[in-house]
Amino acid sequence: MRTRHRKHLMRVLCVAAATALMATPATMASASAPSGIRAAESTAPPTSDADSKTLRIATSGFVDSFNPFTSIYLLPTNTLRYTYEFLVQFAQEDGSPTKGLADSWETSEGGKVWTFTLQDGLKWSDGEPITSEDVKYTYETMMSDPALGVANGNLLANLDSIDTPDEKTVVLTMTAPQAPNPGVEIPVVPKHVWEKIDNPAEYPNDKDVVGSGPFLLESYKANQFITLKANPDFWRGAPKIDKIQYIYYTNSDAQVQALRSGDVDMVTGLTATQYEALKNVDGITVHSGQGRRYSSIGLNSGWKTRTGEAYGNGNPALQDVAVRQAIRLGTDIETLLDKVLGGYGVLATSFVPASYPNWTLPADSPVIMKYDPDAAKKKLDEAGWAVGADGIRVKDGQPLKLRLFVDSSSITEQSEAEYFVPWMKEIGIQVDIESTDVDTISAETSAGNYDMYFSGWSMGADPDFQLGINTCANLPTGTDGSGGTSQDGWCDPEFDKLYDEQHTELDPEKRKALVQEMLEMNYEATAQVATWYANSLEAYRSDRFTDFSLMPKKGGIIANQSGYWGYLTVHAVGDAETAKGGPNVGLLVTGGVVGVLVIGAVILLMVRRRRSADIE
Amino acid sequence: MSDTVPATEAVILEEQGDSAPRGTPALKYALTKIGGALISLVMVIILGFFAFKILPGDPVKAMARDRPMSPEQMEQLRKQLGLDRPLLQQFTDYIGNVFTLNFGESYVYHESVASLIGQYFWNTILLTGTAAVLAISLGLWLGQKAGWKHGSTFDKITSGTSLVLWSVPTFWLGLILLMVFGGTLHWFPTGGMVSSSPPADAIGQVFDVISHMVLPVATMVAVVYAQYVMVMRASVMEEMSADYLTTARAKGLRDDLVRTRHAVPNALLPAVTLVFMHIGGLIAGAVTVETVFSWPGLGKLTFEAIQGPDLPLLQGTFVVFSAIIIVMNLFADFIYRWLDPRVRRA
Repeated sequence: MRTRHRKHLMRVLCVAAATALMATPATMASASAPSGIRAAESTAPPTSDADSKTLRIATSGFVDSFNPFTSIYLLPTNTLRYTYEFLVQFAQEDGSPTKGLADSWETSEGGKVWTFTLQDGLKWSDGEPITSEDVKYTYETMMSDPALGVANGNLLANLDSIDTPDEKTVVLTMTAPQAPNPGVEIPVVPKHVWEKIDNPAEYPNDKDVVGSGPFLLESYKANQFITLKANPDFWRGAPKIDKIQYIYYTNSDAQVQALRSGDVDMVTGLTATQYEALKNVDGITVHSGQGRRYSSIGLNSGWKTRTGEAYGNGNPALQDVAVRQAIRLGTDIETLLDKVLGGYGVLATSFVPASYPNWTLPADSPVIMKYDPDAAKKKLDEAGWAVGADGIRVKDGQPLKLRLFVDSSSITEQSEAEYFVPWMKEIGIQVDIESTDVDTISAETSAGNYDMYFSGWSMGADPDFQLGINTCANLPTGTDGSGGTSQDGWCDPEFDKLYDEQHTELDPEKRKALVQEMLEMNYEATAQVATWYANSLEAYRSDRFTDFSLMPKKGGIIANQSGYWGYLTVHAVGDAETAKGGPNVGLLVTGGVVGVLVIGAVILLMVRRRRSADIE
Repeated sequence: MSDTVPATEAVILEEQGDSAPRGTPALKYALTKIGGALISLVMVIILGFFAFKILPGDPVKAMARDRPMSPEQMEQLRKQLGLDRPLLQQFTDYIGNVFTLNFGESYVYHESVASLIGQYFWNTILLTGTAAVLAISLGLWLGQKAGWKHGSTFDKITSGTSLVLWSVPTFWLGLILLMVFGGTLHWFPTGGMVSSSPPADAIGQVFDVISHMVLPVATMVAVVYAQYVMVMRASVMEEMSADYLTTARAKGLRDDLVRTRHAVPNALLPAVTLVFMHIGGLIAGAVTVETVFSWPGLGKLTFEAIQGPDLPLLQGTFVVFSAIIIVMNLFADFIYRWLDPRVRRA
């Protein structure tokens, strides 16, 4: 008997040992290199005494690379905004073009030739001078190799040639006159560094970065940290903090907890609920700033290819502008903003957010239609849609039934729909909700297979691109929606004419008037019902850092600006100790728990041995 | 569990009288099982390609979401990602590569999927390995005690607690622990695997990692250990009526020793195989915990690949997770045969 059980026990123990062994190499591996993955890429982490001047920001953003030619995700492109200065920067006040590498610029031949004069004495972070050759190299590289034009190639689509008569002068000759400054948004890289790289399109650029902006990339560990260090030689003056460190938190609730516990100093992209919960926490300041994103209910006004071939299965009723306007009149966007977004936003008038006061359509514009269900009903009556027995309107035997795509993972969209559907019913339109995943919605809307869906875009400081994607020239080329980037599939030759005019109008006031006229035209056509410009909700440890710079200066945002102002003036308050207590207590507790467990196990083992020796 | 009859005399006889003709059937058994596993693996690999290809949506459009990009730029991106090639060619390339463990390059990270998985694999093993060892030991230990004294207060409390924890959603439990012990009490870090400024000395660094492991491991253990409690409890209860235990008691052995020396080893048989079958699932189940606690492992990688959507990476993690489960099930088959002579004879 005993032998048999011993044998069994031995076998079971073998299995247990094998299981334990499986886990051991991992433990050993990370004990020897606890900094984990991609250790080779990282340089030294910040030392403890430097922590008080390290701004730690929670992030969940993707990083494709830090290559200024190819990176397209928000987090790395924001980082590049700090690392490489542009020829021309967007001003903090209102987003208009202001000094960057270039001190001044002038246009000739009606906007066909742009001449930039670089500032005196600019230097790369390795001490080399910044010259017009660097600009030429950057621009020509993007134009000559399509793989290097992936990120910003569209900004140079109109560039014909680039000349550098001297070290300080850059002359851009465009193929056609243009009003938007061609010097913005293109990170200028150091020629002496990049020309030595064999395959620049594949270069990750995530260590020892030589740059010209306020912060330089110091180290990067995928999915763990991105560390930027201040550039003391930045031409606007050195930042007042030493480092910015992005720390990865996949889950947004975990980010909030990390802010509470002091593991991070700043959290962005909060929901209204999270924002409210952080409002009265000691040491934390919440900030609600005007964002640069607009949201809308997209209406399928009938998609066509550039050659006029119709496609998609949208309800033809929506091709009648009266029906679209009735939907707008029947939608109470004020209530939506208030109830769904908790009021954290600005009522939208068009697809240009209010954070760009130079361009946005003012709320007192004569075209703006206020919520008026009676007017909506009247419009539908006039358009020949008579109310049927069940309250749903009918025309030519067809009831007015529209589908609405709702992203099933978005609480915002779901609650929007809850308000929207009864409003539509009131004016006699039946809305059927199709709740599905965002990829399906994206695929179906590209193919024109929808009636309505919740949509939105983020916009840069110049409206040219956003206006451009509403022109006929940007309609798709294929009936599968390919080959174009049209915003809502709407286009109007009149609008296109104005687009061309504003594109070459160098007088800012005149250009502004043209843009407003275009926005009014789009508003009346109602290719979409713009709902709101959501505020960006942020929170930071005001017991550690103070004096963030907003963009726009009045009521703007800190992170994700279309400039690098947010962290230029921020400085430490000094009281760094409160935040640092956390992990150390954790260490002590863990140490204690592990110690007790080990001692317990040893005692247990000894007792058992003695017992069995006694009895058997 | 119904096939786990108490050890019979026949089994004992066979054990003592050494093995009869074992060679050929064992080989046949092994070949059948390995063959089955290989077929499963091939199907997983094929499915891994098509499952993600039929997903709606255009990865390039998703990447360009919210970014001013021209159709030409998107076309260029599509070309770089190899999405402009015909589906059949993409498939043959994929099949050709996958057998050399080459899943292509991640859309998002611009790095080979194999090396990404290689980097994150050990982090997941560290987390789930620790959780598995703890959950299994705790579960089996509590289970055998509860089974031995089934109906007692101890049994009721153990089974009750474990069942309650088992039915709690992992995500929710993780967040609660995070809020209480991270956000409010500040005992443990709120996420990640190392501190943003880790200690300089090696021991400090080890403890740094351990402190980051406490909450995610606790969450996984709490949710998982119940199944081991239940299996072990049932198994011990079945053994309890066996004659050999009466014999052991008749020898004058204390109740404790009858349990630990005689009942438990036999009761462990079904439990151990089950453990192996569960380990594969446990690793795949790391997705939730790693997402809540931002643990840089395969689970988090998968979660982010879904958001991308990063198709090559998704294919890679899908095949790896499936392969782990298949291999673990294969192990379970072999171990069961090795441990339990009745399977050998069958």
